[in-house]
Amino acid sequence: MRCPQKKIEAQRKPWPKRIRLLLPVTMLWLATVGCGLWLLWGYENTPGVAAQPPGDWPTDSRLQRAPDRATLVMLAHPHCPCTRASIGELAQLMAHAQGRVTAYVLFLKPAGFADDWEQTDLWQSAARIPGVTALIDDDGAEAQRFHAATSGQTILYNAAGRLQFSGGITSARGHAGDNAGRSAIVALVNAGAAQQTETSVFGCPLFNPESVCRRPEHASK
Amino acid sequence: MQASNAELAGRAMTARRGTDIFNDHQQVICRRTDRMFAVLLTLQWLAGIAAAYWISPTAWAGTTSQTHPHVWAAVLLGGAISALPIVLALTQPGHVSTRYTVAVGQMLMGSLLIHLTGGRIETHFHVFGSLAFLSFYRDWRVLVPATLIVAADHFLRGVFWPQSVYGVLTVSEWRWLEHAGWVLFENTFLVIAIRRSVSEMWDIAERTAESEDLNAELERRVLERTVQLRTANRELGAKVVEHSSAEEALRDSEARYRLLFESNPFPMWVYDLETLGFLAVNDAALHRYGYSRAEFLTMAIKDIHPAEDVPALLANVSRVFKGLDEAGAWRHQLKDGTIIDVEISSYPLTFAGRQSELVLASDITARKQAEEALRQSEEQLRQSQKMEAVGKLAGGVAHDFNNLLTAITGYSDLSLRRLKPDEPLYHNLVEIKKAGERAAGLTRQLLALSRKQILQPKVLDLNQIIFETNKMLQRLIGEDIDLLVGLAPDLGKIKADPSQIEQVLLNLSVNARDAMPQGGKLTIETTDVYLDEDYVGRHAAVRAGHYVVLAVSDTGCGMDAATQARIFEPFFTTKEVGKGTGLGLSTVYGIVKQSGGNVYVYSEVGHGTTFKVYLPRVDQPAAELSAGPVETAQPLGCETVLLVEDEEMVRHLAKEILQENGYQVLEAQHGRAALYIAEQHQGPIHLMLSDVVMPQMSGRALAEQLGQLRREVKVLYMSGYTDDAIVHHGVLDEGMAFIEKPFSPAALARKVREVLDTPVTV
Repeated sequence: MRCPQKKIEAQRKPWPKRIRLLLPVTMLWLATVGCGLWLLWGYENTPGVAAQPPGDWPTDSRLQRAPDRATLVMLAHPHCPCTRASIGELAQLMAHAQGRVTAYVLFLKPAGFADDWEQTDLWQSAARIPGVTALIDDDGAEAQRFHAATSGQTILYNAAGRLQFSGGITSARGHAGDNAGRSAIVALVNAGAAQQTETSVFGCPLFNPESVCRRPEHASK
Repeated sequence: MQASNAELAGRAMTARRGTDIFNDHQQVICRRTDRMFAVLLTLQWLAGIAAAYWISPTAWAGTTSQTHPHVWAAVLLGGAISALPIVLALTQPGHVSTRYTVAVGQMLMGSLLIHLTGGRIETHFHVFGSLAFLSFYRDWRVLVPATLIVAADHFLRGVFWPQSVYGVLTVSEWRWLEHAGWVLFENTFLVIAIRRSVSEMWDIAERTAESEDLNAELERRVLERTVQLRTANRELGAKVVEHSSAEEALRDSEARYRLLFESNPFPMWVYDLETLGFLAVNDAALHRYGYSRAEFLTMAIKDIHPAEDVPALLANVSRVFKGLDEAGAWRHQLKDGTIIDVEISSYPLTFAGRQSELVLASDITARKQAEEALRQSEEQLRQSQKMEAVGKLAGGVAHDFNNLLTAITGYSDLSLRRLKPDEPLYHNLVEIKKAGERAAGLTRQLLALSRKQILQPKVLDLNQIIFETNKMLQRLIGEDIDLLVGLAPDLGKIKADPSQIEQVLLNLSVNARDAMPQGGKLTIETTDVYLDEDYVGRHAAVRAGHYVVLAVSDTGCGMDAATQARIFEPFFTTKEVGKGTGLGLSTVYGIVKQSGGNVYVYSEVGHGTTFKVYLPRVDQPAAELSAGPVETAQPLGCETVLLVEDEEMVRHLAKEILQENGYQVLEAQHGRAALYIAEQHQGPIHLMLSDVVMPQMSGRALAEQLGQLRREVKVLYMSGYTDDAIVHHGVLDEGMAFIEKPFSPAALARKVREVLDTPVTV
């Protein structure tokens, strides 16, 4: 007779007021923070416009393709913070390629901007990487030749001038660390083959959205 | 059993207290850690904003740029993540929910920072650092939500954006466990550390509880002891008050006794019985002895005693040690060397821890001087009484003796005149006469020492008397003794009977001679002195004034003090029996005293003796001294002489002498008879020769009455002893004619003739 009464009393015992007040607040807080993080993660993992570079080395390119080795070209916006991770991955890649690739990093310099507009820390970082040549891409001419639209777009041609790889070498926007793009290029350079030849590119658009960003899409079409 | 239950209850109470202490301690730690995370989360938020702004301030699209989403994420999302934990840490510190929220927030902030820094591997250390920080709560349960957040983060991103986590698009579904595993790896150590720390906290809490119990017990005992101490304190206070009162009374007593000591008019001091050094001395002692207090306190008791008294003093101190203190009269020496007589009263005491003696010194110098003066006065009185008695005796017998001797010597002399020297009775009569004369000398000496003899004083030059008796003295003292005479020039004059002064000189010289049986030097000196009040104060029965001093010194055997004390007593002699009568110096004493002077003796055994005779000086010219009776032819006369003498032998002798010299003699046995004869006698009466001391009527009274009957009658007194009838204090009245018994027939004849031939002065 007594036990049921106790059970009933235990069930009826209310939570402390503090808990009752804190619990919804905490839930709200967690929801808010969760949404924020979800948005942040979404932003970081949303790739830019991927390029559709020509299958052979463009003949009109002013770049000098290496005849005896692979040639890597990275198109970069000098002020894109996300590209810092791509430059860092390039340094890793060059270290793993061990001199079997010639690399160019072409920094966009739109017409009408100051002479040193492109001379940023990204330029300095790229120029310091052994085997990498930093060059100015006046008004994005070379980017357009390689059909690149997103900073960090990396393209690899072999010694014969055939397209080997196209994509980004970071796993997310501005996110350093192991990634499929870098692994593929290293494999291609060192072994001649890779599981992937295309990856997503995470970076700032090289051209203004209303004009340039559409051009690759248009070009690919 | 009761004790056991109480012990169990105590232990349970201690355990509960330990739990409380542990909970309190943990609460304190949690509150402190909450506050730390409030600060940390704030800093992390700001650091995230700074990192985002620094790493990726803007996002570019060709030639255009805008604020980078990371900046917005750092501000907004970071703020959202930090807000609730910070608010709870500040408003609800110590609650479990707060630290869980903090744990979740801290791990979410780590996730945000990793994103903001581009997933740099270094930033991942924030996760492990955060777990370490969370372990500060010392609550392993906090690590659970933190670990779940990390696991969830990797799990969800691995599911939805695998390349963002692992760099590849397809990975194993359990890959997230690898990351979670490292977190758990750290958690393992953290949990161990937390458990140990908690265990230590429990230990501390239990020890603290036990310590508190001990402290409580200690406090209880302290309280109990405090109560006891308070009680004891009150009792002690009462005793202190009592003691203070006693001390105050003691101080008052000490002050009073100090006042008695310091203000005492008698010199007082305390001296150390061991060192004899003075320990304290009062003002009266300083004043009396002349030393300063500092000097006194460096001196010893023996320093105020004459050197000759120190052995007796030390002996007395040793008796004091034995409890046989002898207070009494002592001599003390002042700083200026003066010796004073003191009477000491002493009391042994302990002074400043030293065995000491309190001494009170009463100066009895004046008293002793007075006593000495009194003793001398008494001695003089005794001497005077003795001399008076002797005098009365001598006077009493001298009258009869002299009458008898007058008859003996007179009739002997008359008989010798009628006999021839070769007749058999002549020599016998000569011897009878000598014996009579010697007896007369003795009688004179008795009268002299008792100052009853009749003096006929004159103003004398003492030097002249000495000069005239010099030859006789030289013969008297003999050849073995050198006589040295030192006479002061212009010596003052004295008034005395010259024959008596000669007697004094002779007696002193004979005494000196007898003191020098082996020879020596006899020195006779004269000088003038003035005896001042100081001298008078030190010598009884002396009047201040000018004196002429006759000093007779010898180099003989001297006398001790006892002998000196008795030297002037009648019949006292140190000479062999038969060699001295014991009357010589007493005769000197009597003559000098009767002449108004004093005689003193100074003597040292083995060195000699000096007698000094002080005779009052008079400012009158000296009289011419007669050359003495000259044995010339018996003067004859025819005048009528009224002879009055109660002694029949003397009367018949005088009658016979007068008639033999041609005089007419009217004989009377006493005064009334003489007056009757004078009335009845028709013829003139030229001279009355009368005894002085007679029954019924004295010679003086008779002369006065006879003078009324016959104014022309001259009077010649004869006596061997007088009362105050014709003399005062032994000195004959001025102008009085007198012949001393015993007299010789010739002397009487000369004296009668002399008186009859003296012109009558009106």
